[in-house]
Amino acid sequence: MSETSATSDAPAAEAGFLRDGRELQRRMVEEYYTRLASAGGEKRPVAYAFVGGNLTEILRSFGYEVVFPEIVALNCAIKHKSLDNILHAESMGYGLDVCGYVKNDIGLQDQGGTTPFGRIPRPDLLVCSFSGCYVYVKWWEALSELYGAPMVTYDVPYLRSATPWKEDIDYLVAQLWEFIHDLEKRTGRTFDLAELKRVLAESRRAEEGWVRYLESGKRRPSPIEAYFEAIFYMFPINVLRGTREAADFYDIVNAEVDQRTKDGVGPVPEEKVRLVVEGVPPYTNYRTFWDFFRKWGAVSVAATYPKVGGLFDRGFLHDPARPLESIAEYSLGAYVNQSWPLRRKLIESYVKDYQADAVLIHGIKSCRSFTAGQGDLRDWLTHDLGIPTLYIESDHEDPRYFAPAQIKNRMDAFFESLEHRRAVGPARAGVPA
Amino acid sequence: MTPVAAGMDIGSTTAKCILLRGSEVVGKSLNPVGVDIVRDAERAFELALADAHLERADVGFVTGTGYGRYKVQFGQLAVTEISCHAKGANFLFPKTHLVVDIGGQDTKAIKVGDLGEVVDFAMNDKCAAGTGRFLEVCANALGFDIGDIGPLSLQARHPVKVSSTCTVFAESEVTSLVSRGKERNDILAGLHGSIVNRSLSLMQRVGIEAEVTFTGGVSRNEGMVRAMESRLGQRVNVSPLSQYIGAIGAALMGQERLEAAAQ
Repeated sequence: MSETSATSDAPAAEAGFLRDGRELQRRMVEEYYTRLASAGGEKRPVAYAFVGGNLTEILRSFGYEVVFPEIVALNCAIKHKSLDNILHAESMGYGLDVCGYVKNDIGLQDQGGTTPFGRIPRPDLLVCSFSGCYVYVKWWEALSELYGAPMVTYDVPYLRSATPWKEDIDYLVAQLWEFIHDLEKRTGRTFDLAELKRVLAESRRAEEGWVRYLESGKRRPSPIEAYFEAIFYMFPINVLRGTREAADFYDIVNAEVDQRTKDGVGPVPEEKVRLVVEGVPPYTNYRTFWDFFRKWGAVSVAATYPKVGGLFDRGFLHDPARPLESIAEYSLGAYVNQSWPLRRKLIESYVKDYQADAVLIHGIKSCRSFTAGQGDLRDWLTHDLGIPTLYIESDHEDPRYFAPAQIKNRMDAFFESLEHRRAVGPARAGVPA
Repeated sequence: MTPVAAGMDIGSTTAKCILLRGSEVVGKSLNPVGVDIVRDAERAFELALADAHLERADVGFVTGTGYGRYKVQFGQLAVTEISCHAKGANFLFPKTHLVVDIGGQDTKAIKVGDLGEVVDFAMNDKCAAGTGRFLEVCANALGFDIGDIGPLSLQARHPVKVSSTCTVFAESEVTSLVSRGKERNDILAGLHGSIVNRSLSLMQRVGIEAEVTFTGGVSRNEGMVRAMESRLGQRVNVSPLSQYIGAIGAALMGQERLEAAAQ
C-alpha cells in the first residue's frame, strides 16, 4: 500500500539518535549487576529498597549495596522474561490482580534470583520507603518471610500541598535518625555525617545534570525523547545516585544532547506532535509502543514517569548543607506520593512549559496507586482545559495485557484527529482553543 | 465523469465496501471475514464493483479502514475506523455530534466536529464485553438466529436485570437465567439493556449530544436501537446504511484526496 509512514503498519526504523549516553548506560547496568552478583553478607551487605523516596544515600554511607526489585522487574520485562516469573508467582497462589512488580519479583526470587543480566543477591535488610504505594509493605513482608531478612519501614505521608509541611518533615527526620541508629547497630559502624554529605553532594550533582537533560525537551524541536529515552537514563539517577559515576554520566549525556541540537538531530526526522506522557510504560512491548509514536512524528517532550524516583525538576533536590531535611523533602516530593490536584497541576504546567500539543496517558492494570484518577485526569484535560488527551491501558510487567492492534488503533485515531486539528485550526475543529 | 472513490471497511466480523461518486453510493458489498483477510478484502471490492457494474479502472482511489485496513493491498490510504465513522456519520447526518458505534468486537463513542472530524473518543478496553460478539453468543445460547433477537427483545414483558456483559461467560449467564425459569424474550431484553448501559458510560465520557447517530453492525438490531433511545431519552439516528458508515467515511477521505490531486 502506498501511503504515508503514519498509516503504515511496518515497524519504524530503530532510533539512531541514541549514541554515547545509551552505550555508557548499558555498560553501567552491566557493571552494576556484575558487582551485585558477589555482594551480600557482612562485608558488602545488601539492602533492598524501593525507588520512590528511597534512602540510598544513607545506606551507601554505611557501605550497603542497594538493590531495587522494581528495577530488576522492569529489566526482566524489557528482556521478555517477566511473564515466566509472573506465571510462577501465580502458580504459588498470587492472584491475577496482584501488581506485576510483586509477582515478577516473588516469582524470580522463588526460582533462585537468576536473571539474564545476573544473579540478584539475597537481602540482608529490607528498607520499605512507604512513599506513594500501599502494596510496598505487603511485598516486603513477603520477602522478609521468604528470606528471614529484617524489614524496616520509612513511613512517608502523602503530599497534599505544594510546599511540604514542617510537621511532616520533622516526622521524617525523626524516622531517619532512628534508621541511622538502627544501621549503626546492624553494621557496627559509626554514622559518618561527612561521608553522608559527600554522597549527597554527588547525588545533587547527578540530579542537576538529570534536570538539565529533562529540560532540554523544551527546545523546538526536542533533541530528547523524554519518555522512551529517559527510561534508559533513569537508571543512574535511581540506582547509582550518590556515586561519582552517576553524576559524570549526565555530563556526558548533556554534551551529547547539546551536540544533537547543533546537528539538528532528534528522536524523529521531523517533529510533528509534542506530547506530555503520563504513566508507567509497557516495558514488555517497549519498542512496539515507541514505534506507534514515531510513525506520526510524535515526541514526548516531558513525562511524569521519569519523576517517580524524585521530582528534582520541581526543586526536591538533595542538599549536603541540609542532609536529613533534604532527604525528607525529597521523599515527600516523589511523583506518586503527590496528591491528584498536585499531579494535575504538574501535568498542566508541563503542557505549558514544554509547549506540548497533547497529552497521552498510559494506565497500567497492575498499579492503582499510579493509575487511579487517570480517567478523571483525561476528562479534566480534555473538557476543562481543551488539551487533546488520549487514555490507553495495558501493563508495565504483564505482556498479557498489551493488545497491540487495539492500542495502535486508538493511537492512530488520536494522531489522525491531531493532524486534522492542526490542518484546520482548533476553532474549526470544534474544540476549545 | 466524477471519479469513483472506494471505501473498504475490514472489520473483525465483516468486510464492507462502498463505491462513492460525488454524494451518490453507486455500489456496495458486505461479506464475512475469515482467516484470509487479504482475500476477503479483495472479494468485498469485487462484489461492490459487480453491484455498481464498474471495472477496477473506474475507481480512482481506494481507502482502507477497520482493523484489517492494512490488508487492503490495492489501497492507497489507510485510516482508522474511528475517523471514518465520524466522517461517514457527518455525511449522512450533518448535525450529529456524537456517534456510537457497536461492532463485532468493540464499542466506540466518538464526539464529532462540524466538519466530520474526531474531537474526542472513548472505547471499551481490549475485551469484547458488550459488543456484537456478545449478542451472537447469547443468541446461540438461547437457540435464536442473530437477526431475530432484536424484535424478540421488544416483546419482553418483564425484562430481567443482566449486569454482566462478558462474552466468555455469556453462555453460562444465559443458561443460568433459563434454568431459573426466566422467559427468553425477557432475558434478551436484559441482555440488550446491559449493552446499552455499557455503551452509555462511553458516551458520557465524551459527552452526550442533542443528535446521536448509532452505527456498526449492532445498529441493525431494532431492539438495541429502542433500548438505547429509551435509556438516552431521545431518538437516535440510524441509517439503512449504518453498517457501511465506516466504509462511507473511508470513501469520502479518498474523495478528498482525489479532489486535492485535481486542483
